Amino acid sequence: MDYPIWNVAMGGGVLMAWVAITHVIVSHFAIGGGLIIVVTEALAVKRSDPELRELARRSSLVLILVSTVFGAISGVGIWVVAGLIAPGAISALIHTYVWGWAIEWVFFVLEIVAALVYYTTWDKISKGAHLLVGWLYFIGAYFSLVVINGIITFMLTPGGWLESHAFWDGFFNPTYWPSLVLRTGIVVLMAVAFMLWPAFKAGADRRSDLVRYLGWWMIGGVIVSYAGYRWWEAMLPDTVTALFLGETPTLAGLAATRSFTLWSLTLALVVTVLALLLAPRLARGVTAILLMVGAFGFFGGYERLREGVRKPFLIHSHLFSNGLLVSQIDEINGRGIAAHSGWVAAGDPAPEALGRRIFSAQCSSCHTMDGYQSISKALPTVADMELVAADTPAGTGAVHYLEQCSRCHGEIDYEEMAEMMPTLEEIRDDPDFIRELNLGMITMTVMELRDMGSDYADFEPGKQFDMRQLDRSYMPPFVGTEEEVEALALYLASLDHPEATGAAGGDR
Amino acid sequence: MNTDLIPALDAAGLPGPPWLFHFLLVFTFFLHLVFMNLTLGGTLMAFVANLRGGGRPADPNAVLAKRLMGVNTYAISLAITTGVAPLLFVQVLYQQFFYSGTILLGWIWFNMLVLLMIGYYAAYLHKKFRGPWLGVSAVTFFGIAMTHVAVHLIHVQPGKWAQFNTSAWTVLGDPTYWPRLLHFVLAAITFAALVAAWWAVRRARAGADVELNTAIARTAWRWSLWSTVLIMVDGFILLGVLPKPVLLGVMRGGLATLGPLTISILFGVGLLMMLARARNPVESPGLVSGTLAALTLTIAVMTVTRHQVRVLYLEPATSQFQATIVPQWGNFILFALLLVAGLATVFWMVRRVLTSPAEGDEAA
Repeated sequence: MDYPIWNVAMGGGVLMAWVAITHVIVSHFAIGGGLIIVVTEALAVKRSDPELRELARRSSLVLILVSTVFGAISGVGIWVVAGLIAPGAISALIHTYVWGWAIEWVFFVLEIVAALVYYTTWDKISKGAHLLVGWLYFIGAYFSLVVINGIITFMLTPGGWLESHAFWDGFFNPTYWPSLVLRTGIVVLMAVAFMLWPAFKAGADRRSDLVRYLGWWMIGGVIVSYAGYRWWEAMLPDTVTALFLGETPTLAGLAATRSFTLWSLTLALVVTVLALLLAPRLARGVTAILLMVGAFGFFGGYERLREGVRKPFLIHSHLFSNGLLVSQIDEINGRGIAAHSGWVAAGDPAPEALGRRIFSAQCSSCHTMDGYQSISKALPTVADMELVAADTPAGTGAVHYLEQCSRCHGEIDYEEMAEMMPTLEEIRDDPDFIRELNLGMITMTVMELRDMGSDYADFEPGKQFDMRQLDRSYMPPFVGTEEEVEALALYLASLDHPEATGAAGGDR
Repeated sequence: MNTDLIPALDAAGLPGPPWLFHFLLVFTFFLHLVFMNLTLGGTLMAFVANLRGGGRPADPNAVLAKRLMGVNTYAISLAITTGVAPLLFVQVLYQQFFYSGTILLGWIWFNMLVLLMIGYYAAYLHKKFRGPWLGVSAVTFFGIAMTHVAVHLIHVQPGKWAQFNTSAWTVLGDPTYWPRLLHFVLAAITFAALVAAWWAVRRARAGADVELNTAIARTAWRWSLWSTVLIMVDGFILLGVLPKPVLLGVMRGGLATLGPLTISILFGVGLLMMLARARNPVESPGLVSGTLAALTLTIAVMTVTRHQVRVLYLEPATSQFQATIVPQWGNFILFALLLVAGLATVFWMVRRVLTSPAEGDEAA
């Protein structure tokens, strides 16, 4: 939170999601592709099957173009974007796991060199040497997953690391092995989804064989993925599973994501059985697209779920996604965020301007102005009050109340609120009064978020926190002095003024 | 120095002694430079050579361009791959400064990725379709070089962050920006040209297309000579425009800083003499190999000097912070062992490939 702020209109999280999603799809394909391609080539050599060989060869072109180019660049891209939007957080990860990443780099070098050699030596070296290169490629690629899986899973379930801060306690955390099994299945799903396209180019007499051959790989991938997924769920702490499992999950959206994830896998399975195994002659481009939808949906859903249940942390129970350490809460509440960050302190000392910088430092890692997780849409406005009060046509007031107000006023229903509220005429006569009212509500909410910080002191240190105990479990606490609470509230309330457009801009 | 805008050190501490990360940063950056030079210098040179070749496939310039872009199939990938390690280690050592520098550049830094992607695919498209793609590749790689020089100069000058926060473009007005950029670009061209000359000499000596390879070797050799002349001039300009405290730091640093700098300058002069000695490099294969080896060594020594200059730039800021050291020796040893094993595997694999040529049904 003490770094300069890079404000992205679309939201840093959205940008990261784009980079990360494309990277994980490509990188998992690069691993699974490595396995299936080399096994396919080995089978082709064993059976003297030129069509199988061509499948391996054609697929290796896709592999080289996407894995050594797009995969490598987007992998670097994750660091680049993380450094831009959450520097404190990525720094903490890197300082903890630099040797893990360094080891992954060694495997990455092997992977890339082997991929380049593999692709460029078709027809030029002996079959044995070529297969050896292929296997080395797969080993390099898979072991980079083995390493990075430790770091990714650590972020959600740091396990014993929370107490010991020991590298291997965090690396071999409770979800390490299930996640490795799950991702092993996923790499096969990704590879088949891509390799169907080169398989379609085979001669008519062998096309069905190749499609069915890939179908069996897909079945294997689905089984391993499903087993890994269920194991992963079983190994999550109850405090985490309660967020998206059970009759009344804490986060209904994540429960829906879980359903989507499993239904996507079901779709992939059904398409595989029907179109790849039972009727491979009917398999067409649309089949491959359906399979991609299913496979990508499963993978994307799982990643969304994993990220979603980790909120508001980057490293669960240790570091929030805005770079705030749990251990810093009391200190910053005492000294103030401006004393903590020179970037917040620098500039116009007027409360509203200070509030804007506080928003940038603490909130902008998740909230955009008007886009993803829009802060302006989450805040009460005069227009909201008018819509609720007007209730025209009848019933719309209640709907608007439900959508815009009930998150904070859950204990009061629409009718009760309507009785307490000023009338439409009163609102229009004196909108400044409503703005004052809204400022009060915003101040109260920020104060509640600040008070939430003290709840963290009640958690047992060294253990994963039970976020169900918190009212706004998906948000980090606000940290700062009471004056800074007021400054932030003033800034947020100012966004409702028509002339506030300028104030809504970021620092950069 | 006012340190208000400098973020705090990472609370997790350094997972090893600073000297180890300084060494790893310099070493891996040198590896990166080797492939980066081939990529950047090779592409820029190929672009010019391609124009001079005028679309005549047998023209030495056209063949030179084709060869350089052929090497780039590997070099671009390896430049990215080897670039990952210094990117990792710079984040460990200089996170406060490096992240701040990149954030102050914002979209420009992010677009480096976009440029890289475009440049890479353009290089592939050039091989398949020709057209304007080589130019696209050259422009994008040059843009990446500009970005890196910008982020470097911003991150080492926290005293100017407030100014860069107002407009990051002001970094283009930094007195060292253009000489530094030119230094890197010219070094890249020299290196790529020498590799091309070395290759052509080997081919010519082996009796393959002697006339063509001799012409290519001569052309590439000339490129090396003139870019080295320019590097020497530019190098002294760069030294002269360094901020006074940094320059004084280099001069008063004793053997540690003056040693590498002096060696670099002597190597530079030596390179000039070697390059000027041969008019037809095919007749002096030993000289060509020696020159290439000397240049590689010069780059290694210059990498040390570059790092020392960074340390001196940042000294007023870094001296305000004391990093906690929480060494993870076991993990470092595991990394070192795997690095040795990994590189050995790569060499073994390449050797096996080179000793297993096959044709027809015997081939994969």
